[in-house]
Amino acid sequence: MKSLYFAFHVYLAFAGKSFQKRMQYRVANLAGLTTNFFFLLVQIFVYTAFYAARPGPLPLNLDEIITYFVLCQVFFMVMPFWGTSSEVTEAIKSGDVVLQLTKPVDFQTYWFADECGRAYYYLFMRGLPTFLISLLFFEVVIPQHPTVLMAFAVSMILSIFMSAAITITIFSTGFWTLDTSGISGMSYAIITLFSGMLVPIVLWPEWLAYIARWLPFEGLIDVPFSIYLGKITGIKIWIAIGKQMAWSLFFLGLGRFLLTRGFSKLVIQGG
Amino acid sequence: MHHLSLYFHFVKLRIRSQMEYRLSFVFELFSQASISVIDFFMIALLFNRFKQLAGWSLWEVGFLYGMIGICFALAEMFGRGFDVFQRSILRGDFDTILIRPLGTFYQVFSHEFLLRRLGRIAQALVVLLIANSQLTISWSFTKVGYLLISLMSGTCFFIGLFVIGATSCFWTVQSIEIINIFTNGGVFMGSYPFSIYRWWFRHFFTFVVPLACVNYFPSLFLLGKIESLGASPIGVVLAPFAGFLFLGITMLFWRWGVLRYQSTGH
Repeated sequence: MKSLYFAFHVYLAFAGKSFQKRMQYRVANLAGLTTNFFFLLVQIFVYTAFYAARPGPLPLNLDEIITYFVLCQVFFMVMPFWGTSSEVTEAIKSGDVVLQLTKPVDFQTYWFADECGRAYYYLFMRGLPTFLISLLFFEVVIPQHPTVLMAFAVSMILSIFMSAAITITIFSTGFWTLDTSGISGMSYAIITLFSGMLVPIVLWPEWLAYIARWLPFEGLIDVPFSIYLGKITGIKIWIAIGKQMAWSLFFLGLGRFLLTRGFSKLVIQGG
Repeated sequence: MHHLSLYFHFVKLRIRSQMEYRLSFVFELFSQASISVIDFFMIALLFNRFKQLAGWSLWEVGFLYGMIGICFALAEMFGRGFDVFQRSILRGDFDTILIRPLGTFYQVFSHEFLLRRLGRIAQALVVLLIANSQLTISWSFTKVGYLLISLMSGTCFFIGLFVIGATSCFWTVQSIEIINIFTNGGVFMGSYPFSIYRWWFRHFFTFVVPLACVNYFPSLFLLGKIESLGASPIGVVLAPFAGFLFLGITMLFWRWGVLRYQSTGH
């Protein structure tokens, strides 16, 4: 029990360091905040114009769509997949990963801790300000029921967890290819599309939405935000969260498998 | 003339060095293009649901999208030297540039050439060509020339933005990230007709940062939508020249910035 407590302490310290490192770049954060807000503004202009034509009944009204994209910008940088890459991915490329491997800790957990520190930083320094400013300027929908908020919180934590697991899986391929830009670019396109980041899945044509429902990536964006907006209710919330959990475990396992295989054949570049 | 042949020589060297990593090159070509395919696919999805945007059809918007995409990719290809200029300042490499008997602007410009943007150019060009086949634009010699000038002007506009970002390094050492709003953000907002934006937003991106002049106004003319604007057609027709003017002004800014240069030293 004591050793478990100790281990937890170590990883917490890694996460804290990862958080602190980012606190250094305050001006850059302000610039990033402005950029998030700019994209949000353009998206809102675009959807307002689309909705102005009144194309008939829609599954989401304009305020809900705006809230959806506010949440997108709030969590965009929090998610390890879309935010800036962590030091670990860079380290695999540069060969510095050997320094991290000499530490007496589990590498995947260490990587997770690093991503968690990142996520916390962006949640408080980027996400929260974006949300507060949006409240001032746009008609952001706030769930009235505390259970909805609680379900959203659980689902959102799972989605951040899953996005870290996916990121680790993708960049573990760096042990084989060295240059991950190809595979990360391809997966960026696929995941961005099927997460619902660009257009909410309820607005998609039937056949494409059907594909999305069978893939894990809706759990990153579309599922938690739909819970927030009250579009997933009752027992369906539990099913959605269960799916998120199952996919998280899948990617956790896959990442661990790749990392173990990667270490066994690891050749460090440079000297 | 000497400058020009030297430039081609530099470009040849750059291409050769990028081709050393052939697999990585192909991968990136492919991943770049797939990311932008998703972008346009999403616009198509929206039109599938909503049918039209402020009186614009999918392929009219596709025309805007293709134009701005080509311009930006070309600018990244040719203006790469300014895009990554902060490296030279951080490392103190700019000192070397100063002692060579050639202009600083010319040297930074010819220093880099990013061939892998061909993937993005091809994708935007395909969208533009499909859009053209779906629309009935009566092409004349003048209109083709006008399109080419607009594309060149748009490229100059984006290169101008890179130059501003690079010049700011003389003061801040690191490139100011705000410039991303105008480059990446410019591509995003330039993919939609300007009439959907609020007046202050529109005016800023016409008169201060002339994005509308290199993309929206020329498209209005080419797609025969000028009447819908209610503005003087002459102003619209002359609009693309704002891109060249913009680059000219940023070149003056560059010159002024170089005077302020203090080496980070070694």
